[in-house]
Parts: sequence; C-alpha cells; structure tokens
Amino acid sequence: MIEFRSVSHAFDDVTVLEDVSLSIDDGEFVVLAGANGSGKTTLLRHCNGLLEPDSGEVLVDDTPVSADLVAARSAVGMVFQHPRDQFVAATIGADVAFGPENLGLERSEIDRRVEASLEAVNMAGREDEHIDALSGGEQSRVAIAGALAMEPTHLVLDEPFTGLDDPARRSVLARLESLAAEGTGVLLATHDLRDVFDLADRVIAMRDGRVVVDEPPDRAREALAGLEVRVPSRRADRP
Amino acid sequence: MATHGDSVDLVDGTVVRQFARAAVLAALLGALGPISIPLPFSLAPVTLQVLFVFLAGLVLGPVWGTASMLLYLAAGAVGAPVFAGWEAGLGPLFGQTGGFLWSYPIAAALIGAIVHRGTDLRDPAAVPLPVVVLALAAATVLIYAMGTAYAAWLLELEAWEAIVGFALPFVPGELLKMAAAIAIVNGGRLEPIQA
Amino acid sequence: MLTYAPDDTLAHRLDPRSKLAVQIGFAATALAHTGPRALVALTAVAGAILVAARVSPLEALYAYRYALVFLAIAPVLAALTLGSPWIDLEDGIVSARASYRVLLILFVSAAYVRSTPVRASRAAIQRTIPGKPGQLLGIGVALVFRFLPVLRADLRTIRDAMAARLGDERGAVDRAGTIGVLGLTRAFERADRLALAMQARCFAWNPTLPALAFSRVDYPVLALAAFLALSALL
Repeated sequence: MIEFRSVSHAFDDVTVLEDVSLSIDDGEFVVLAGANGSGKTTLLRHCNGLLEPDSGEVLVDDTPVSADLVAARSAVGMVFQHPRDQFVAATIGADVAFGPENLGLERSEIDRRVEASLEAVNMAGREDEHIDALSGGEQSRVAIAGALAMEPTHLVLDEPFTGLDDPARRSVLARLESLAAEGTGVLLATHDLRDVFDLADRVIAMRDGRVVVDEPPDRAREALAGLEVRVPSRRADRP
Repeated sequence: MATHGDSVDLVDGTVVRQFARAAVLAALLGALGPISIPLPFSLAPVTLQVLFVFLAGLVLGPVWGTASMLLYLAAGAVGAPVFAGWEAGLGPLFGQTGGFLWSYPIAAALIGAIVHRGTDLRDPAAVPLPVVVLALAAATVLIYAMGTAYAAWLLELEAWEAIVGFALPFVPGELLKMAAAIAIVNGGRLEPIQA
Repeated sequence: MLTYAPDDTLAHRLDPRSKLAVQIGFAATALAHTGPRALVALTAVAGAILVAARVSPLEALYAYRYALVFLAIAPVLAALTLGSPWIDLEDGIVSARASYRVLLILFVSAAYVRSTPVRASRAAIQRTIPGKPGQLLGIGVALVFRFLPVLRADLRTIRDAMAARLGDERGAVDRAGTIGVLGLTRAFERADRLALAMQARCFAWNPTLPALAFSRVDYPVLALAAFLALSALL
C-alpha cells in the first residue's frame, strides 16, 4: 500500500504539491489525471523517495519511505517518460538484470526474474537483442520489465504512452491490464484518459498541486470536466 | 523486503547524477569520433572531440570530468567504436594517437582544477575570462605535447617531424574550439550540479 | 566497423581477463622491439591470435584503415630531409618498422573486439578493479555502449537542422558552438532522466557481480601473456 499523509512540496518557493493525502491499495488500478504542470510527476517521485516531502509523510507498506529507501524502491517499481533514456545496457537481458543485481540477489534468482519479467511484457526469450533496434512500444515494455524485475507490489508509470502509436499503446496497455489482474497495483499518470478510463478502479485528478477528484471512474466523469484532461465519451454515446 | 535494506548500499543521488552525466558525455565524445576530417598534411584528424574534452573539465569539474574521459577510453578499449574513424580496441590507446587519447583525462582534470579550484563546482560563467582562457590554453598545450611526444617516440620521428605532422596544422582549429568553449560557457546554459 | 559477433571460436570461449592480459603483454613487447627478427615473431603471434578469433587480416586492415593512412605517412615524413639528399632512406625504414608493430598491436585488439561481448568486458572490469571505482567503471562502460547510438542520432538531428537553416553559411566558431551547446544540453537532459531511472532501480555500490570464471583453456593463454610481457625486457 502507498499512503500520502498531508504531503506538501515546493521547488524554490513554488508550491507544487499542497496537502496531498491519498492511499493506493495493492492490486488497485489507479489513474492519476491532470494537465501538464498540475503536480503529477512530483507526486509520483515521492512514492519511492526520489523526492522527499517538505512536510507530511509518504509510507509504503506502513513504513516511511525515508526510513527504508531500498524497501520502498523495491516495492514501488517506477517507469518514467522517455523510456529510451532509462536503459543502462545495450541489450535487453543485461538491462532488465540491473535492478535485481543491485539488490544483491543470487545469479540464479536474477536470471529467473529476468525471464519472468520479460514474459510478463510479452518479450520472452529476447534477452540478447539490442534495445536500440526495438520499436517505441517494445522499449516501453522492456522499461516496464526492468521495473518488474524488482518484484514490486506497485508499478508507477508517468505518461507511459507519450510518443507511442496506437498499436504500441494497446500492446503496453494490455500488459498493464494483465499485471493488474494478477495483483500488481498500477498507478498511471496521464493527461489523456481515453485508453485507461475503463480499466481504472479509481481516478485521482490534480490541479495546481491539489487532489481535486478521488472517485471511481463513473462518478469522476463530471468532476473531470474543466481540468484540461481528455476523457472518453460515455459508452452509450459511442457508435 | 526489509532484509535488503540492511545490505544494499545505495549510491547517493548527487553522485548518480554526476556519474550519469559523465557517462553520457563520454558517449557523446564517442559519437563525435567518426566526424573527423583528416587533413592532407597532417597525421592527426581534426575533430570536435577536444571541444568536449574542454567542456568535460569546465562543466563536470576535475573529478567527474576526468571520470568521463576515463569512461570514454575504457569503453573504446573494450570495443565501443568511439575512437577516430569508428575504431575500437586497446590498440588505439597504444597506437599513433595514443598520446592524444591518454591526454584527455589529464586535460579535463587540469581545466577542472584551474577553473573550479577544488571539487566544489562553480558556475564557469562566473569565473573570470582570463582564468578560463588560461585553463583551456594549458590543456591544449598538454594535449599536443603528449600527443606529439608519444607519436614521435612510437614512430621513430624527430621532434620537428612530429610537430609538423601532429601539432602545427591544428593551431587554427584549436583556437576555434577554445572560442567555442568560451562562448558556450558564457552562454550560461549549462549549469554544473552543485553537491 | 569491427564489432562483437557471436561465434564459437577459441577466443570467444576465453575469459575476457585472459584476452586483456594477452593484449597488454603483446603491446608491451611490441613497443619494446622493432628489430626484424622480433617483427617476424610478433607477426606470427598476431596472426595466430587473429585465427583464434576468426578475424581475417583483410577485415582487420579495413577496420583500422583510418589508422593505416597515418601509419603509412609516418615513414615518408621520417625519410624526408631538409636539404640534400632530401630523402634519407635509413630513417624511413626505421620509422616503417615502428609503424608496422603498431599495426600488429591493432590486429591483436581486433581479435578482442570481435570475440568479447560488452557484458563480459564489464564483468572483467568489475572483477579486476575493486570497490567503487570498479563498479562505476563497469556500469559506465555499459552506459557508453547503450548511449552511443542515441547520441549519434541526436548529433545527426542537430546537424540536419543546422543545414536546413542555412547553417553552412555561418562562421565556424558559431557552428562548433551550436553543436557543442545543443549536443551537450540534450545529452545532459538524457543523463538526468537516466539518473532518476537508475536510482529507482536501486543503483548500488555492492551489486551482484556478473559471473566470470577461468577455465582450463585460460591457463596456457595467461602463461602466453606473461611470456609476452617478460619478453619486453629482452
């Protein structure tokens, strides 16, 4: 479980998060919506201690993040925008192994995790391929595998669909959907809700650093109007 | 999960950022390597690489600038095609351009030490211009002294032969790169990471 | 461009540390000797090493064609003399022999490049250099391999954009400055994102190191490396 208790954060006097409280359960699929600059990215980076709150507290599985960074970063896998810049090795297998190697695991356990993570993103058996030769969607999926290899309880993604074409977006989305179904909590930040709205258990929306909506999708729809986020039209309205 | 926390020794965030910049700058130097123009009267190529050796010292400072250059040499030595003409391997480090290559880390260290005067980084735009010019000139002399001396020894050339072949033709190019480095630094668009 | 290619040669099966040792030994002795007999012996060793990695001499020559130009010019430069008799053949031959041994050193490194994947080199670095420097050097080398194609594409984009905006007509300082500042700004943006991603994946000083072990074939090769290094003193 990820829990924010009255978290505030400012960069050089500019308040980016203001009194944010929320909690995300294991296995929940939560969409974090909001326009660019609403504070989504800052919020996400508090989940694993990349940023620390100026006031308030973030807990992962009831332990403050700052008290055990390694535990928080193992429990909360994070995938950022621009997957292309997140790889530490030229080949898929070597990159996905990076997280578990840092955790000091046995080589056999590392190999097992690399294999399982690649399978989870539909990239099984492609360890020796060069990352640079992959498509954008495949790179996204390898980045997700890199996070999964830490065996996190939650997967946090920041605008994972930026720059992806339709088929690539669907391929990433399908993997996220099945991960959530298997019990991994997903927290996905986006300004475009059209693909994810129906998958979400809950929608959290931000404006100017505050949480302004925290509801299941069907009840969040009205409140999302005017937040500069793209919401799909109602099911009944669709052809 | 808590069991990991006891034994995993995380790299400090500031170090990770400096290290990532050093590694990416090393790759940038390598990406430039193939863009080299052999001069008809000279044995060494004209490339923009030295400009980035300057920038390594200026922007990353004496520690990480040097680290960056060492990463460049190490990656090339084990097979990354980062040396002039897409070449790779340990050979070029001993070959006719070896003296130039080995001078890069020392030159970056020298510039970093003169401009930043220690391991706490300063904004090079705020350093008096004569100091920057002095640092770049000293580094250039060092690069060419090492490059030329090694080539002369390795290929059994006399000093003047090596100077004519490896140093003189580059004076205009080097002045150009120094001017470019100063313009970049004074543009103030590249801020060093403060610890 | 000569790069690693999977294969099943003797060189591919060797531990990367053995191969590095041989290269250093070979370079040491080649730098110490330019006599005709030494060159014949060095040629034989270099040839055997190329065979062991299944690299043809032509391929190696082509990979180092750029260096070859300079190695060919050096003897000419050495032979030229100011004033009569203008050409000093003796000087030229001495320099030619010196150039030739450099070529042999390059050949030997071609065998390493062809037969050694990055992960093996990284393992060799991390298992040879202890502590934090070894960890950073190993990961850093992997990062250079990873970011090389990314930054090459960046530089291509920058140069295309400059050409499109009549950049060719601008002064050389301006042009170098633009490539410098755009290249470095983009590279550092990437580096900052990379740093976050590495932290999120628990980048640590004490990871599990890649597996690496000497096997039976490595011992004679290490002995060869030691012999080559010692022969530098002859």
